[in-house]
Amino acid sequence: MSNINVALPAAPATVAPRSRPHWLSVAAAIAVVGTFVRALWFTPLEALQGAAQKILYIHATAAFVGLYLGCGLVAFASLAYLWLKDERADRLAESAAETAFVFLSVVLVTGPIWARPIWGTWWTWDARLTLTLFLWFVVVGYLVLRGAIEDHAMRARYSAVLGILAAVLVPFIHLSVYLFRTLHPMPIVLKPSAPSMSREMATTFAMAFASFTLLFAAFLRSRYALGTERAALERAAIEREDMAAATGGR
Amino acid sequence: MPENAGYMHAAYAVAATAYTLYALSLWRRRRALRDRAGRLRDTAAADRTRRDA
Repeated sequence: MSNINVALPAAPATVAPRSRPHWLSVAAAIAVVGTFVRALWFTPLEALQGAAQKILYIHATAAFVGLYLGCGLVAFASLAYLWLKDERADRLAESAAETAFVFLSVVLVTGPIWARPIWGTWWTWDARLTLTLFLWFVVVGYLVLRGAIEDHAMRARYSAVLGILAAVLVPFIHLSVYLFRTLHPMPIVLKPSAPSMSREMATTFAMAFASFTLLFAAFLRSRYALGTERAALERAAIEREDMAAATGGR
Repeated sequence: MPENAGYMHAAYAVAATAYTLYALSLWRRRRALRDRAGRLRDTAAADRTRRDA
């Protein structure tokens, strides 16, 4: 048994014992439920595709959030880390990557569910689909890499480089429908001209963009807070072990 | 108009499940972290009591 005779650091004050759901999480949940209700029951059916067209309200918006917000933020925070060596930037990149992984997974599952009735096949190896799958694997690799390296500085540096490389894929994915012959539809919202859809559909799309952006922000905030608390707790545990080791033999 | 509402419902169910599971995962991980912090606090308090005694 160790003979500890000095005050050891307790758990850090940043780890709150209990908390209510953050207002952002509550707002995001309400907004997403509202979008689902509007899309499913209060938006007209498209004449050619039928009900399957409504999948695009959650598929395209998940792609927007996962690709542009998620991967964009990973790249931005990774560059900030490489420049400033600030662990908060590394934590932000990690949080954005994990959140982007969730949205990209939704993209890769809802896409084939839409494609089956419309294209007659679940999957085709065209440029956009293949590049998006490749990006998903890179993001998985990023998260696996972070779990595999113990040293904080090395983990942050290597994953920052991989995060930036992942984001390089995003413009290619966006332009793939223009650069290659592909089955994937051309952009109907993120394009230079006005969206090609009725006002009701455009309103549902706008609501979906807003609510999923809010959901991304809520996930990101929550994941970042988790990372901050984990880091504080790890520091406290290490300090405690060091002090116990220093005083235990006396 | 094609009859394909089943695909639509499946896609919405998958998306709702994915987002809910991730939210639950964040909540569980945070709760586990707070439990660990609580144990660390208890141990530190016990150490202080032993030292004072």
